[in-house]
Amino acid sequence: MYYRLIRNDIARSKLITLTTMIFVAAAAMLVSLAVILVVNLSGAINTLMMKAETPHFMQMHTGDIDTGRLAEFAERNGNVDEFQVLEFLNMDGAQIRLGDTSLADSVQDNGFSVQSEKFDYLLDLNGNVIHVSDGGLYVPLSYMKDNSTKVGDQAVISGKEFTVAGFLRDSQMNSTLSSSKRFLVSSKDYAEMKDLGSTEYLIEFRLKDLSALGAFETAYASAGLEANGPTITYPLFKMINAISDGMMIGVILLVSLLVVAIALMCIRFTLLAKIEDDYREIGVMKAIGLRISDIKKIYLAKYAAVAAAGSILGFGLSFVFKGMLLENIRLYMGESEHSSWAGAFGIIGILVVFLAIIGYVSGVLRRFRRISPAEAIRFGTSQEKAAGAKRFSLSGNRLLSTNIFLGVKDVLARKKLYATMLAVLMISAFIIIVPQNLHNTISSKGFSQYMGIGDAEMRMDLQQTDRITEKAAEIAQTLNDDRDILQYVVLATKTFQAKTKDGSEERIKVELGDHSIFPVKYSEGRAPAAADEIALSALNASELGTKVGEIITLVVGGQDKNLTVSGIYSDITNGGKTAKAVFTDQSADVMWYVICAELTDPALIGGKVAEYADRFSYAKVSDIDEFVAQTFGSTMSSVGKASKSAIVVALVIMVLVTLLFMKLLVAKDRYSISVMKAFGFTKADIQAQYVSRSAFVLIVGIVLGTLLANTLGERLAGAVISSFGASTFQFTVNPFSAYLLSPLMMIGSVLIATLIGTSGAGQIKISENIKG
Amino acid sequence: MKKIIIGDQIVKSFGEGEEKRRVLGGVSACINEGEFVAVMGPSGSGKSTLLFALSGTDGIDGGKVMVDGKDISEIGETELSDLRRSKMGFVFQQPTMLKNLNILDNIILPSMRGNRKNAAKMTETARALMKRVGIAELEKRDITQVSGGQLQRAGICRALMNSPKVIFGDEPTGALNSQTAQEIMDLFSEINAEGTAVMLVTHDAKVAARAERILFMNDGTIASELTLPKFDGSNPDDRIEKVTVKMREIGI
Repeated sequence: MYYRLIRNDIARSKLITLTTMIFVAAAAMLVSLAVILVVNLSGAINTLMMKAETPHFMQMHTGDIDTGRLAEFAERNGNVDEFQVLEFLNMDGAQIRLGDTSLADSVQDNGFSVQSEKFDYLLDLNGNVIHVSDGGLYVPLSYMKDNSTKVGDQAVISGKEFTVAGFLRDSQMNSTLSSSKRFLVSSKDYAEMKDLGSTEYLIEFRLKDLSALGAFETAYASAGLEANGPTITYPLFKMINAISDGMMIGVILLVSLLVVAIALMCIRFTLLAKIEDDYREIGVMKAIGLRISDIKKIYLAKYAAVAAAGSILGFGLSFVFKGMLLENIRLYMGESEHSSWAGAFGIIGILVVFLAIIGYVSGVLRRFRRISPAEAIRFGTSQEKAAGAKRFSLSGNRLLSTNIFLGVKDVLARKKLYATMLAVLMISAFIIIVPQNLHNTISSKGFSQYMGIGDAEMRMDLQQTDRITEKAAEIAQTLNDDRDILQYVVLATKTFQAKTKDGSEERIKVELGDHSIFPVKYSEGRAPAAADEIALSALNASELGTKVGEIITLVVGGQDKNLTVSGIYSDITNGGKTAKAVFTDQSADVMWYVICAELTDPALIGGKVAEYADRFSYAKVSDIDEFVAQTFGSTMSSVGKASKSAIVVALVIMVLVTLLFMKLLVAKDRYSISVMKAFGFTKADIQAQYVSRSAFVLIVGIVLGTLLANTLGERLAGAVISSFGASTFQFTVNPFSAYLLSPLMMIGSVLIATLIGTSGAGQIKISENIKG
Repeated sequence: MKKIIIGDQIVKSFGEGEEKRRVLGGVSACINEGEFVAVMGPSGSGKSTLLFALSGTDGIDGGKVMVDGKDISEIGETELSDLRRSKMGFVFQQPTMLKNLNILDNIILPSMRGNRKNAAKMTETARALMKRVGIAELEKRDITQVSGGQLQRAGICRALMNSPKVIFGDEPTGALNSQTAQEIMDLFSEINAEGTAVMLVTHDAKVAARAERILFMNDGTIASELTLPKFDGSNPDDRIEKVTVKMREIGI
């Protein structure tokens, strides 16, 4: 009997059933994908860390080291299984050239090391321990991923030539989020290079009992051993490895939640409409003594069938797409040992979706309890009346045309039903507006100022060149004599050791010069003005644990120099860790110069850039807008792409859901439509009423969605941006696109969907629906 | 006497293929200005279908229907809607009211299409009509808060809103008790006396006896016709007797 009921019901509402199934399938697919990814990711990380024998405890250290004392500590501590000290040769990115690519702009701390002997191995792409021959260079995987180089390329490190022999997986520093990258060279080559960079030590331990890690950490700290650098433990390595793909999984989970929500709303809407339709029948069934659970079964059966079909389809689809998403995990971490379990867990994920749907349907059906059989049989409709709609009467209406009035009135009278549509439209408006505002914000001029780039018009970069200071002076002289130049500034970047509160030292890049000419925006405080002041980027400030007005210590020319923090600014250049100061220093080498200039006539910019580029071939001369495009171009374009696809996805959801709702409403409202047609309302009138309903719901949805986007959405986007180093964040809204173009697109799509969805209203026969 | 609606050789079938069933087999009928016509016949004889065909609420398969001299198969859907709204009123067996609107709003609804400027005037007209049929105090009520008789009166008010030339009633008293039915029929007679033509479909000889012309239908054709003098309240039993005799005569 159930089979026949389901078949008849589905045949009568093909479109609605199909749409619901598509949403269920999409939701099931995403959940299954997320589960499969989680299982693979954790398995792959475990496999990688097992093969590489990642240290359980690692202390980084710069400065003098007493290996004897460390060995003695390791000997005496009963929990130490193995102990070693590795060297890590830090080298400035400007000294590293892979093929045609220089790592000068790299935000990573790149360094060199030899293959370790006991544990913490660097692995090749097959998961084997690498043995490198002289002249060979193994490059961290991330440089393969961003196409910096390929096997066989010529590499030049501080003038010494290497051949790229392959790529390596580093269980410690694989992730682009970990700030250091290890290159692997042979012991002979390492010995030759040793004087070309600064040596950092990795003091590493493997423990017999990992659960006693906490006790070991305390023991190490209290022994007063070398500790001039960060301490990293096994769980942290694991987290860093997981975070990149973990974020992708998080996004997939978020999207799948959204789709599940939309699927549930579609179900709720169709179910409520169906109950309204069948009100009398339900009353009759109750009256003749059927149990509520029996009546529920009839309705549950159909949704169980639809949900099951959707889930199976979604599971199949997840297998089609999983390869694509697993690519990154496979590349960085290799195969997971437990990948065969993934399918089983995927099924569990899908079962959860399926059960959630059944549970939800069952919950919606609880309202059967409230149906009074007598009332249902007598009136065929629920007697519950929505408050608020009553005051709004046709006889008192002087404002709206009758069709618009009837549309709006219907929405107010059946709020519960339309709430579903409202929620979907609101979410869609949110999905359209947030990425768009984010894109607009990061492409606006104001944003680049916020991000550590001053408001100049022309910018010249000088790096990796001999006699760099003389060349900078030469350019400055030319700018000084150039009448087209309104003002200019020369900023030199040097690195200094900064002392952190806990006594360890950290290298920070400080930009020296006059920062009042082309100021960046300070989220707190102001630009440094006196020689004893310094401004810090938000990331550096939080890393050093300082606030505006506090004092930090830099080591300048071997001497401690106390500087007051005058301001904090957002910066996403150079990995977000920069500082600005005005003091003069002759001790440290200049890493690079940035010379910024403003023209008397901004229109001359094109010619000036060409002129200076021609004249100073050793400098990189750029129009600042172009510079911004290069620096943030890829981020801007990927956000731009994301925002465009979000618009398409949201519009498709809007059209589908509107189409579905309108078809359903017309089917439900056959009777009212017939009555109105009998009294002379035309098809156009009826459609005008439906358009008014959609438009009314949509306008409320757009307003609420926009409000939500500008509050919750701004916070969400701010959270994303702050991970790049911005401290405060506010949307820069393009009113034309956010408040005119997007709403128009939404209105257009919804109206077209409404017209298509209600085209059947014209075919409704009066005589078939009104009993004479 | 001028004919408002003329139906000529109307053919109408329902269903498709083997299940196709001819409900009207070439029926010709008309409604004259100010006339009271009743249509009687057993279930399935085609009386309601004839009413739907003559009022243009359902299409026909053959023959033609002229309303005010216009062939309705030749005019568009919009013009047909306008025609129904301006020239005809409808009262159905079940009170066909929109549940989102209160009684007053339901009554003024047909006259509000496309002209909200008339709202004040229409509300006034509606109130006058409601007062006349005795439901003046119900205007703000929901349709579920009043009795069947009251709803039917509201339905009559709605049918009268645009001062139609003809009111169609499909079993308008079918769902009412005899006392209320009597009152509703008095109302129809009153309206007819003022010059509005009435066409009622009914099973009930008492209802049919109010008419001046009665069409008896059987198997999709008009089997017979009975003419009575215009109803003025006199000799009701005599009229009913004539109708029942005729019914027995043709065996329905």
